[in-house]
Amino acid sequence: MRRRDFVKAVVAASVSARTMLGQQAATPVAPSTPPPTPAAPGPVPWMRGLMEVKPLSMTPIVPDAVAQTNAHFFIDRQMATLRRLSEILLPPSKDYPGAIEAGTPKFLDFLIGVSPSDRQQMYQSGLDRLDAESHQHFGVSFANVQPAQADQLLRPWLRTWMTDHPPTEPYAHFINVAHSDIRTATINSQAWSEAASATSQNEPDVGLYWFPVEPDLYREGPAPGRRPTPQKRYS
Amino acid sequence: MAEEIVDVLIIGSGHSGGMAAKVLTEQGISCLMLNAGPIADVHKDTELKPAYALPFRGFKQPGLLPHVFQSNEFNANTWVDEQEVPYTYDPKQPYNWVRVRLFGGRSLFWSRQSFRLSDYEFKGKSHDGFGDDWPIGLADLSPYYSRVEAIFRVRGRAEGLPQYPDGNFVLDDSPWSGCMQRFIAAGKQAGVPVCKARSSMGVDGLASSVNLLLPDAFATGKLKAIPNVVVRELSVDKNTGLVNQVHFVDRLSRREMSVRARVVVLAAGTLESTRLLLNSKLANSSGVMGHYLIDQVYGPGIVCSVPEARDGKATPELMGGNALIPRFRNIDTKAKNFIRGYALNVSSSTRPMDPRNFAAYGEDLQKKLDSYSGSGFSLGIMGEVLAHYEHCVSIDKNVVDAWGIPALHIDTKYTDNEFNMARDAVDTSVALAEAAGFEVLSKNYDPNPPGYSIHELGTCRMGDNPKTSVLNKWGQSHDMKNLFVVDGSSFVSAGWQNPTMTIVALAMRSSEYLADQMRRGNV
Repeated sequence: MRRRDFVKAVVAASVSARTMLGQQAATPVAPSTPPPTPAAPGPVPWMRGLMEVKPLSMTPIVPDAVAQTNAHFFIDRQMATLRRLSEILLPPSKDYPGAIEAGTPKFLDFLIGVSPSDRQQMYQSGLDRLDAESHQHFGVSFANVQPAQADQLLRPWLRTWMTDHPPTEPYAHFINVAHSDIRTATINSQAWSEAASATSQNEPDVGLYWFPVEPDLYREGPAPGRRPTPQKRYS
Repeated sequence: MAEEIVDVLIIGSGHSGGMAAKVLTEQGISCLMLNAGPIADVHKDTELKPAYALPFRGFKQPGLLPHVFQSNEFNANTWVDEQEVPYTYDPKQPYNWVRVRLFGGRSLFWSRQSFRLSDYEFKGKSHDGFGDDWPIGLADLSPYYSRVEAIFRVRGRAEGLPQYPDGNFVLDDSPWSGCMQRFIAAGKQAGVPVCKARSSMGVDGLASSVNLLLPDAFATGKLKAIPNVVVRELSVDKNTGLVNQVHFVDRLSRREMSVRARVVVLAAGTLESTRLLLNSKLANSSGVMGHYLIDQVYGPGIVCSVPEARDGKATPELMGGNALIPRFRNIDTKAKNFIRGYALNVSSSTRPMDPRNFAAYGEDLQKKLDSYSGSGFSLGIMGEVLAHYEHCVSIDKNVVDAWGIPALHIDTKYTDNEFNMARDAVDTSVALAEAAGFEVLSKNYDPNPPGYSIHELGTCRMGDNPKTSVLNKWGQSHDMKNLFVVDGSSFVSAGWQNPTMTIVALAMRSSEYLADQMRRGNV
């Protein structure tokens, strides 16, 4: 490789280094929060000539904004439990959407559906137990539980915890991890982002995304965990 | 051209490879550098995106990079994929092996904390009888530390503590915020020093091999570098017993190639260098190659709130800033149930609190988040891990990577010393925080899995005795004088300090020695 090419890449790195290569602070960021917003990079001298030939910018929309997803991983009863749980743990507030408005239950159904089996089992058995306890204590399914009743079922299991160290007891693990997942899925949603823009007039919350760098096409890419089960259910 | 013999072949482009290239080329020696991964072009390879535009809304893609806790959907493509370059371990003893093969390696993304080892680390055995001393001490490395600190532009302040050696700093004379002053006072009462942290400022916000070291090497005209080549093994000249050839495969095309070299400098990163030597079956007359694997304890810590900063009362005068508590255990006193020691990263934040600090949900949680926003104060451990012969890596013949190169099997775990140290770190943090009048919200006693720190060190340790070490004090193989290892695999002990400054200083020292030896015709 020639020196000139390398130096070009290196200087490109240096010029907008802090933004691009985002060297991290010592304290790890919570996994649910995207990295802090870097300043937008400016053009470096040899890019200016290319700006004129860049294609017309097209504002992409995310499919969530217009489309429904139909496949379910969770069975109907679990899905109903998950919806009520999401609604209770993260209701809408004055300025921000809640989990339901952000499409969180459907998104988590997709996410868990392609996750490794231990995570799937944790969610399935957790949702099943939550529903069973609701029947046992209040004679209703969790999907129909009142907030005060739900509080009695949830509060004993809430914990404080730090990154990478959720509660180890399986049911406490489910309650606290599901809570964290519901919050992350909601806060990272388009509905939330739009509410944040409307409220704060700040720059939208973005992170620096890395595409695959010179991907090895010889190999098949890694499978994204498990695919949804063949027996699809259509809503 | 295929007949050409390279003078020095450097494997790896990170901190250690970059320094070796800079030193050797500046001394007039021609070098060829091989790197396993591509050059990252930040303009082509990155884009600012909101989380909702990503397929998994910022969650890690399920099943991907399970052992890289630091990965998320934004940065997933910067880490080495575990399915492409797998490793094995006993499921009861998990290990997180975190790697970057982009040109520049982990020097692109490191946290930039910059510390010198002290003689409490170099001469640990002389201090407490455990393990082995390094064959060098702080006095040997100090001139190199100073030069490295100048290149990396380390910001810090002299503290006059032997366990936290002062260096060649850009002066950090920033004032302490109010909450930090309270914490420092609590530390003073308890005999715990709370000091200014030390960090590499680098240039233009980047402190990496690619902007601080490699440009100087390329400027000499004596460095050629090849990306996207994965080294398979080294081979030896049967007549001389010296390493003489490097076999590698093009990462993308799978074309097999080789190059002959007079000298080989290994800088692939601790475990990759060791893996290459084990696969090549070289340089292990001592039998200790692969052994004495160490890293550092990370994970245990606490999160607190400063009550006076709640309910909108947080100000820049009261909150903000960070500090470093260097090792204070087992210096003049003896801890009850562990040897060596740990440091604590201390940080105060004016940002919103993490909701996992409150056992609450819904409107109740939101009220708490609003009240506590801007009042955060946290501590986290960086602890020394003891070197044991039994903690080791070996080749797993049953598993190969995407190019058919046998994988590494990692066999290590933390011991009582690490767990007791972690417990002491958290208890001490709680005591200091409460003495400073803070409210402790969360605490974690459990270390992250070994390897999480991304400070894996050892497995080709240096020493004066060829029977108990792989390298001499110059990082030169005892078995073949034209083989040098300049990355973290040469460490005898790890200490609590982030290893980068030491790795780069050792690489500088080894490379200058190598250049001198080549000039004299000894190598």
